[in-house]
Amino acid sequence: MSPAATATKEIPKEIERFNIIFRIQHIIMFTTFLLLSFTGWGLKFAYEPHGVSSIWIRVWGGAEIAGLIHRIAGITMLLDFIWHVIYLAYLFAKKRMTINLKTTVIPLPKDVFDVIKNFMYFLGLSREKPRFGKYSYAQKFDYWAVFWGMFIIGFSGYALAFPMQVSYIIPEFTTGWIWQLFGIMHSDEALLAIVFILFWHFYNEHLKPESFPMSWIWITGKISTERLKHHHPIEYDLLFGQDTPKKKKE
Amino acid sequence: MFDKKSLVLMASFLMLAVFSPLSGFSEEPANCLVCHSSMKGKILSPAGHMIELHVDTDRYTESVHGSFSCTDCHFKFSENPHASPGGVVPQNVLAVSGKISAKHPVDPVAAAACVACHEEIYTYVLGSVHGRNILEKNETDGALCLDCHGSPHYIRKKEDPESSVSRGNHVKTCGRCHGNRELYEKYGLEKNVIHSYEESFHGRKLHLGHMKAPVCSSCHNAHDIKTKDDPSSPVYGKNKLQTCGKCHEGANEKFIPAISHKPAGPIPHYAEIGLIILTMSVFAFVIIHVLLEAYSDIRDAVFRKKEDD
Repeated sequence: MSPAATATKEIPKEIERFNIIFRIQHIIMFTTFLLLSFTGWGLKFAYEPHGVSSIWIRVWGGAEIAGLIHRIAGITMLLDFIWHVIYLAYLFAKKRMTINLKTTVIPLPKDVFDVIKNFMYFLGLSREKPRFGKYSYAQKFDYWAVFWGMFIIGFSGYALAFPMQVSYIIPEFTTGWIWQLFGIMHSDEALLAIVFILFWHFYNEHLKPESFPMSWIWITGKISTERLKHHHPIEYDLLFGQDTPKKKKE
Repeated sequence: MFDKKSLVLMASFLMLAVFSPLSGFSEEPANCLVCHSSMKGKILSPAGHMIELHVDTDRYTESVHGSFSCTDCHFKFSENPHASPGGVVPQNVLAVSGKISAKHPVDPVAAAACVACHEEIYTYVLGSVHGRNILEKNETDGALCLDCHGSPHYIRKKEDPESSVSRGNHVKTCGRCHGNRELYEKYGLEKNVIHSYEESFHGRKLHLGHMKAPVCSSCHNAHDIKTKDDPSSPVYGKNKLQTCGKCHEGANEKFIPAISHKPAGPIPHYAEIGLIILTMSVFAFVIIHVLLEAYSDIRDAVFRKKEDD
């Protein structure tokens, strides 16, 4: 990503972590995610007592409008995802992005050890926090969860939204069960995605004392070198060199 | 000696005695309702049938037949405490009443009276799987008019939300029999029809107020309903192409299995179990991780603050 600076280079106050394209992709992703969750929840739990879901769906303009919102948001999210993948391919092709084990988002064995280390730290069995690269295992988990969701929820959702078109391409022998499978995949994994975002992403990026009310990287794209050093020491070392003297505290 | 209630009742009976010989007395619903609106409960007829005595005047006049005279349907009484209205029973009513007397033993003529006006629909019903069960198999289970439309005194237009066949009540009404274990086992019907409908996208959308979501009769027809094994049924074999095509233009053979009352096969079933296990494991990991991390953050803030500095 960013070219590695030499140790002699002056350390900036902040560096860019996500460029504008990634930030826009993230904004589209969470906007559509929220719309999909809100409208889909009403359908999944349609029979909640006291007509709660009927009232909730009415808030979204009734069943027809809520369905339309869900479809438009779903298509937008899928296009956003495709855009992201194509953009990554473009960055690789242009050599503006290369795979470096210290900065990659690809899961590595180190991440498993980091999880164990972190649990030891949580439990007080170790005084040493794991040292993360550009992406901690929590962030990698966050990132790849979207891929899983896109394949499982996205494709099944596309099939459910456009059953007629999809019916032409599904093989004959699957027709007895594939529609039900689409429904189950879509509904169950959507619940998983919502729970995951609600607990994992919201805790890590919003509720955690050090992040509250949110990490502003999503809008500025910038991370302070202070924070980088603290949370992503391996990346910090890669960028600014290991032997950099400790910055004085203000 | 007499309380007020019985005096009122006696007065009504006296009135009945006075006016009954006059022709036209019983054509005026008010005359019948003088007593029947205040009578409560049921009475055992000589033949051993319980007869509901009460007629709610308000609900009757609000109903689609509210302007009718009682004798438009109650042509005559077979077990009669009243002076018989003794009207002429139309031929088609008489013919139908003979066929359905097993199902409506109390007053088959009144039960068959619907045919006087709704002749075409009644013909469909008698030819349907419901009607034939009564006519050919001499069973009492098949649905006739009142089983779906409710009491004949309070029938409402199906557009009226209070109607038993309105979009909101339709499935419940069919479910009274088709969700009844005794009945679906007796006739070997598909077990899960109501539940599987409610779980389907169709059922959920209907429940949430979608105006185009289909109800039972949208696919199975109403008055001329046939079993799915009958080649004239809209859900028989390839007829589904047309039936589904009413809403889903271009419905093809790979599309129509998307909606079925059949329980899930092994693949969706085990896929669901797998996904539930995955969801639960992720959930467990996430919760434990978040709670422990929060704990360690608090611990560090309270007890280890100094060490870090």
